[in-house]
Amino acid sequence: MSEENNVKMEESADLDKGRRDFLKYVCTSSAAALVVASESSAAAVEAADDSDAEMTVTEFFQGHFVLMSDEEKKQAIARLEKRYTAKYGKKTTVSDVAAPEGVLFGYALDISKCIGCRRCVHACVEENNQSREGSVIQWIQVMKIPKGNLSFSADKLENGYPEKSQFGDYGVQVGGNAYSPAGLTTEGAQSYYQDETVPDKDFFYMPVQCQQCEKPPCVKACPVRATFRDHAGVVLIDYNWCIGCRMCQLACPYQARRFNWGEPSLPAEEMNPKTHYFGNRPRMRGVMEKCTFCVQRTREGRNPACLEACPVGARKFGNLLDPESDVRKVLATKRVFRFKEEYGTYPKFFYYIG
Amino acid sequence: MIDNKNSRRSFLGKAAAAVGVIAAAGYVKTLISGAASPTAGVAEKYTNDATQQEKALMENRLVIMTDAEKTQRLDELLNCHYKELS
Repeated sequence: MSEENNVKMEESADLDKGRRDFLKYVCTSSAAALVVASESSAAAVEAADDSDAEMTVTEFFQGHFVLMSDEEKKQAIARLEKRYTAKYGKKTTVSDVAAPEGVLFGYALDISKCIGCRRCVHACVEENNQSREGSVIQWIQVMKIPKGNLSFSADKLENGYPEKSQFGDYGVQVGGNAYSPAGLTTEGAQSYYQDETVPDKDFFYMPVQCQQCEKPPCVKACPVRATFRDHAGVVLIDYNWCIGCRMCQLACPYQARRFNWGEPSLPAEEMNPKTHYFGNRPRMRGVMEKCTFCVQRTREGRNPACLEACPVGARKFGNLLDPESDVRKVLATKRVFRFKEEYGTYPKFFYYIG
Repeated sequence: MIDNKNSRRSFLGKAAAAVGVIAAAGYVKTLISGAASPTAGVAEKYTNDATQQEKALMENRLVIMTDAEKTQRLDELLNCHYKELS
């Protein structure tokens, strides 16, 4: 009898143990599910309806666009097109046209021609769906610089060269000298001027935007490789992969990157529906953005919007690999500036005097 | 004899408490993340960025390149472009 009881007790203990293990597994998996759900629900919370929420959650788990298969890319683009079309009430296309082969894009800007009208800034905002009122984002910043900061006399240019010696030419400074530099200083400049008429005769103007460096420090700083340089030399961002850490912003010596602190404000009637995945598609809160040389245009053989908007023809764009391109001609024939050369970033944006 | 420390009820109680702690942690995390970017402070953050950008641009100096420097710059750009990425 006692043996029977012992066997029963052992069986019962085994059953209890099995049940307890089962309950442990259930609780552990529920806890894990809770953590995942709390993360993904944060992305879904702002969605307008169920279908939108579903797409947002799918986007949350989306990988880096460059590493996706063709099928995944198609799905990602279809999701975005559907969402933007519903959100802005107009048929929106998201292109993923690749950069052309045998091209290295470069840009040149004639600061003697620029009149500071800021049409390039407005054209850029409209073309690239930048945030408007409240959380204003502008990729181009126009600086108004006193004319006294500019000096280009030939004498001063030559003054900077040290005498050649038998050991060779060990020049340190090129152009002018410490007391009278032959070039341009931005000391005393303003970038948020509110003049009713331009140009002001005592000033000249210098628009600054992403310099599309050949050795971009922002790309090196990105911990998740959300920003990268394509083979046409343009530095791009995968907005869905960006984690918003702002390391790239800190790394950029030209202060060309803009961060979306809040939800961008883009009125539906002003939204440009022709977009590119790495370019002007509407961005979200918490991601970085910057000039892409209008990737949605230039990858299709068109000029950037800022160039088209410039009323005085101060802007030139072209292929640096082609000796007949406008940019190469500028480099060959005009007086071109070095801009923050000491950083060794090799910018492909050149300022020159015509 | 039921061992209170090892009973099914006490185990379920512990499990429920653990789930509760995790849920509370998730909620607190949401609260903290939300507090990091309140709507009221967003405009200020945009202004701070703009001020910082303007300040950085004020410290620039542009120097005209000689013909040799221009050639060197172009050569470096093209060399870098043609170089195989590791």
